[in-house]
Amino acid sequence: MNPLTKSTTSVPIGPQAAARRSRPQVLLRKYGWSLAFLLPAAAIFLLFLWLPIMKGFVYSFYSIDFVNGNKFTGLDNYRTVLADPDVRIAIKNTLYYMFLCLIIGFWVPIVFAIAISEIKRFQGVFRVAAYLPNVIPVVVLYGLWRWLYDPVGPINASITSLWGGEGISFLSDTSWSMISLVFMETWQQFGSAMLLYLAAVLSIPRDWYEAAEIDGAGIWQRIRHITLPSLRSLILLMLVLQIIGTSQAYQSQLALLDGGPMNATLTYALLIVKYATTRLDMGTASAMGVLMFLVLGVLAMLHFRLDRKGGDAA
Amino acid sequence: MMDRGILSGYDLKRKRTRIGYSVMIAIALLMSITMIYPVLTTMLNGLKDNAEVNSFPPKFLPQSWNWSNFDAAWNYIELPLFLRNTLLIFGGNMLMSIIVLGLASFSLSRLNLPYRRAIEMFFMITLFIPPTTYLIPNFLNLKDLGLLDSFFAFWLPAGANAFFLLLLKNFFDGISMEIFEAARIDGASELSCFIRIAVPLSLPIFATLAIFVFASAWNDWFWPSLIMHKDSHYPLSTAIYKYVIQAKMLNLNIRFAILTLVMLPPIVVFLLFQRFIIRGLHLGGVKG
Repeated sequence: MNPLTKSTTSVPIGPQAAARRSRPQVLLRKYGWSLAFLLPAAAIFLLFLWLPIMKGFVYSFYSIDFVNGNKFTGLDNYRTVLADPDVRIAIKNTLYYMFLCLIIGFWVPIVFAIAISEIKRFQGVFRVAAYLPNVIPVVVLYGLWRWLYDPVGPINASITSLWGGEGISFLSDTSWSMISLVFMETWQQFGSAMLLYLAAVLSIPRDWYEAAEIDGAGIWQRIRHITLPSLRSLILLMLVLQIIGTSQAYQSQLALLDGGPMNATLTYALLIVKYATTRLDMGTASAMGVLMFLVLGVLAMLHFRLDRKGGDAA
Repeated sequence: MMDRGILSGYDLKRKRTRIGYSVMIAIALLMSITMIYPVLTTMLNGLKDNAEVNSFPPKFLPQSWNWSNFDAAWNYIELPLFLRNTLLIFGGNMLMSIIVLGLASFSLSRLNLPYRRAIEMFFMITLFIPPTTYLIPNFLNLKDLGLLDSFFAFWLPAGANAFFLLLLKNFFDGISMEIFEAARIDGASELSCFIRIAVPLSLPIFATLAIFVFASAWNDWFWPSLIMHKDSHYPLSTAIYKYVIQAKMLNLNIRFAILTLVMLPPIVVFLLFQRFIIRGLHLGGVKG
């Protein structure tokens, strides 16, 4: 324990030596099972999470070649990233996408959670309906939405029959393509967030509203001063999660539009994927990952702090 | 005690509030319809003949009901093979999660540990590292380990999931300690405590886990397309993406029939067990 006893162990005195011999046994008895239980998980985490995370940094300094072996190239990959004009476009698109997700998508589940919490009959039907798109495999949705967004698809049919005119090229028009993707994803994903908000709304004690009403608070005042403040920590956490999640988006951009039209939906993460798959430059892809890690690290810290706080409160 | 929410019975007696409330219900109904409409459209388009799916403006109901589309859809690609792959991935991932993460979370939650804080950090920090930042290194790592094109490339990393670990640990934290004390006094080892007490008690949380694991096995299409190179190893989603979504020559009605076949099983399972599933999702909490 303290440095004194440690220094005296060099002098072999009977009882102390005996204590030292049995110490590993004591430790084994005390911690043996718990460490044995942890061992498989520790090995798996090391091999399949920590190792790739570390390798990312290493590979960012290498030129990856499956045939001739990897070669150390110093900062070349980082120079490639900085020189690539697509990177700037990709960053701009990613920020635009994150912004759209916030203004189109973020408030939707909150509003519907509050609305549905007030519906007394068949509340379950609304819950199930809202969650339904989450259950459908995303590849099915890609096929479906391609048709819905088609120039001669049902959405355009309704638009032209209601207002006339040309209809909108939702996917092939550069000013619409990203908005269309965000709309599709909001439609698909808001249900799961809504369920969380709904549970939080329903857990607000009813007598708070009763008291507020007796004090003369109107409906909007009750929502503003009771409902929303009660949801505040959840909203904040969801906001951080959404920002972290949307900053990494690439799948629907890849599946529906392959980053087009004219790079309008090329996000940063999609560019990483493209460097790895079509440009076959995995070193640069790793370097882009490292740069992203450095930027998102700040956000991750924020998430970490929030999570700790939320965990203590709960 | 009256059942009330934000609105009270008194509010609803006022005309303006009642109108507002009806508008709100109408909007919620509209939302539900926009959720259900695309699902029905997919099914009904799968039943139309090809000229009709391509006609403008599209109609909701088919004029002729072509059930034979589903025969063609079933035979277009080897759906049973891809389904088997998906189920293999799901089963292996599930087993791996339960054994590896179950043991680890039991240890973290219930047993004596030295340097507990450091060990928890080792696992939990991975939760905060965005996976896209090491997407390609992860692929290269699997390649270095010689796991590409093998189902072990799914199964083994399935045990490296800090979110599931946290989920299980929180659940074990909630089990009362006395039960384990009693078993220990009766001479049970830690392993039999885990297998005979902790596992049977954790069936609800394993069910929640199963929902998440199933959703990702059924949904992921991009990652499997990176690490599996043989067509016969693709899971369903990847196969659908490659051969149906990307197909140029496939008739639209057959395409929708295939999509219907892929979409129906999870929807049916969801509708049958929705009460259970939604409760399970709540157990999963925010961190999904």
